[in-house]
Amino acid sequence: MLKYFFKRLLVMIPMMLAISLLVFGALELTPGDPLTAQFPPDQLVGMSQEDLDALREAVGLNDPMLVRYFRWLIAFFTGDMGYSIQTGTPISQVISYLLPQTVILAAAALLISTIFGLIFGIIAATKHNTIWDYLASVIGVIGISMPEFFIGIVAILIFAINLGWLPAQGRGSADATFIQNLRYLILPASSLGLSLAAALTRYTRNSMMDVMNQDYVKTARAKGLSESRVFFKHVFRNALMPISVLIFLRLPMLIGGSVVIEQVFGYAGIGNRLLTAINSSDYQLVLTIILMLSFVALLASLLIDLVTALLDPRVRL
Amino acid sequence: MATEYILEINNLKTQFVVRRRRVVRAVDGVTFKVRRGKILGLVGESGCGKSVTAHSIMRLLPKTAVIPEGSILFHPEGGESVDMAKLNPTGRKIRSIRGNEISMIFQDPMASLNPVYNIGDQIIEVLREHSKITKKEALERAVRMLELLSIPKASERIKDYPHQFSGGMKQRVMIAMGLICRPQLLIADEPTTALDVTIQAQIIELIKEMQSEFGFSTIIITHNMGIVADMADDVAVMYMGKIVEFGTKEDVFLNPLHPYTQALLKSVPILGNAGEDKLIPIRGVTPDPSEMPPGCAFEPRCDFATEACKTCVPGRVGVTDSHIVRCVHCIGEKLDD
Repeated sequence: MLKYFFKRLLVMIPMMLAISLLVFGALELTPGDPLTAQFPPDQLVGMSQEDLDALREAVGLNDPMLVRYFRWLIAFFTGDMGYSIQTGTPISQVISYLLPQTVILAAAALLISTIFGLIFGIIAATKHNTIWDYLASVIGVIGISMPEFFIGIVAILIFAINLGWLPAQGRGSADATFIQNLRYLILPASSLGLSLAAALTRYTRNSMMDVMNQDYVKTARAKGLSESRVFFKHVFRNALMPISVLIFLRLPMLIGGSVVIEQVFGYAGIGNRLLTAINSSDYQLVLTIILMLSFVALLASLLIDLVTALLDPRVRL
Repeated sequence: MATEYILEINNLKTQFVVRRRRVVRAVDGVTFKVRRGKILGLVGESGCGKSVTAHSIMRLLPKTAVIPEGSILFHPEGGESVDMAKLNPTGRKIRSIRGNEISMIFQDPMASLNPVYNIGDQIIEVLREHSKITKKEALERAVRMLELLSIPKASERIKDYPHQFSGGMKQRVMIAMGLICRPQLLIADEPTTALDVTIQAQIIELIKEMQSEFGFSTIIITHNMGIVADMADDVAVMYMGKIVEFGTKEDVFLNPLHPYTQALLKSVPILGNAGEDKLIPIRGVTPDPSEMPPGCAFEPRCDFATEACKTCVPGRVGVTDSHIVRCVHCIGEKLDD
């Protein structure tokens, strides 16, 4: 098991390098003076052309591309990600401040959709071809087909404006505790997670029904096990394998979806910042965020492999 | 109360409600008895209701199935008789019998073991369900059982997963699982159909060996006449949900009376009987179980059919004490259904 884990981890390294090379290449192609992305703007103000040239030589901007790539990579991993051209703040600071907020949002969406998707899927499977099954299917189709921003707007209209139960915008006050600010998370996380919950409901239902018809479930019943033991020990664990893959595959999509949802809910997160950075051609920031998000996606795929291996002994070979 | 029989099935009917309220009578008035310590072979072609009969005994039928009539009397040694047909299929009583007093082995060993648990887990699961026993003791018993079933290096292999076993080995694991609680009745539902011929013979030998070792009674369901001839004491021939002929092996093989049994024996090769006789197939196809002919179900395919066969369903006729046939042409004592 441990061996398998390290194997997967090793496979990730070349992938990460490939992605970073792509991002670095894109950075090379962006217009503008790379110096502005490496130093705070107030330091560069008032410098003469000779001074700038000397500085360029001194920090190695005239070195071969591969050398600059590795220097950039090392700097990236030691937390020196350069400066936002637009605001002049260090990018590492922007990311360390905003990325956790987006991760919290995506994790909350993942949690909500997993819980509801599994519950509704199990109900639909165990009571298949009844009114509950049809209801879950209809809600599922609606959830899958509606775009997130629309769900978000409708949710604001109903729960924030008409009913007044939950706040419509923002992330809460900085002084309040995480628990107190939790109510700000409910609407954006639910809107973001709805389509995953709907997909999971369908997926769980089909996976459950597939497993329930397997011969080994009949074997389990023939052993004299109780229905709940048959379900949790023999059906659920097998049904969980394809479901867990879907859950983690959707993780990067949730982070992508947060770009839109953060905009709708005025939620200060990395997705929101990415959009403003794109609008102001803040390339250094845009590409750094994209690199961070691709690492999250890679991490998610590592998680898929791990969970699948934990659930299914056939994968560990 | 120890009677001569371990299981008595009387007029059992199992029906499936399919779309548009149509009813399929998969088992339509089955009556037979299983003698204690003996092997009963239940034969018939695909779809005749053999498996449904077995699943009815274990009450492992899908939710769409109902048992509107009939009884399945189980007489365990040193216990009270139970009518399995009356039990709640998910209740406590049936669960205490399943895997413990009556075990079942299924057709496809590849699909019958859960791929995510190792075989040790799966074998001791049934043992620990029915008796208070520590995990260590249970594992020791499982290893001994596997050794008895000639699985090499059983104490190591017990930690292996089903995908690490071959088909024949998996069926041995299934047999171990079925026998570990020392059941009084073993139902083997086509235990060799999914295996290749050489392995088939080994599994059949193994079941016979275990039977003489532990003395349990067996119902072996098969469409293979050779297996029946090889191991059964009694034979029940099933056609379209009914037992058309029942008797000892000698009754059925040496003096087959029902035209279906006769046709069946002529249509399959029996080992050691090669050469002279040409195989004769049974003409026609089995009728649609939801649109059965009004008279004898075999009438459309029968060479001896008369007008009487078209109108009335033949009753059970006892030709001798042990030999019972459902055919209007047979002469003997008329029995109840």
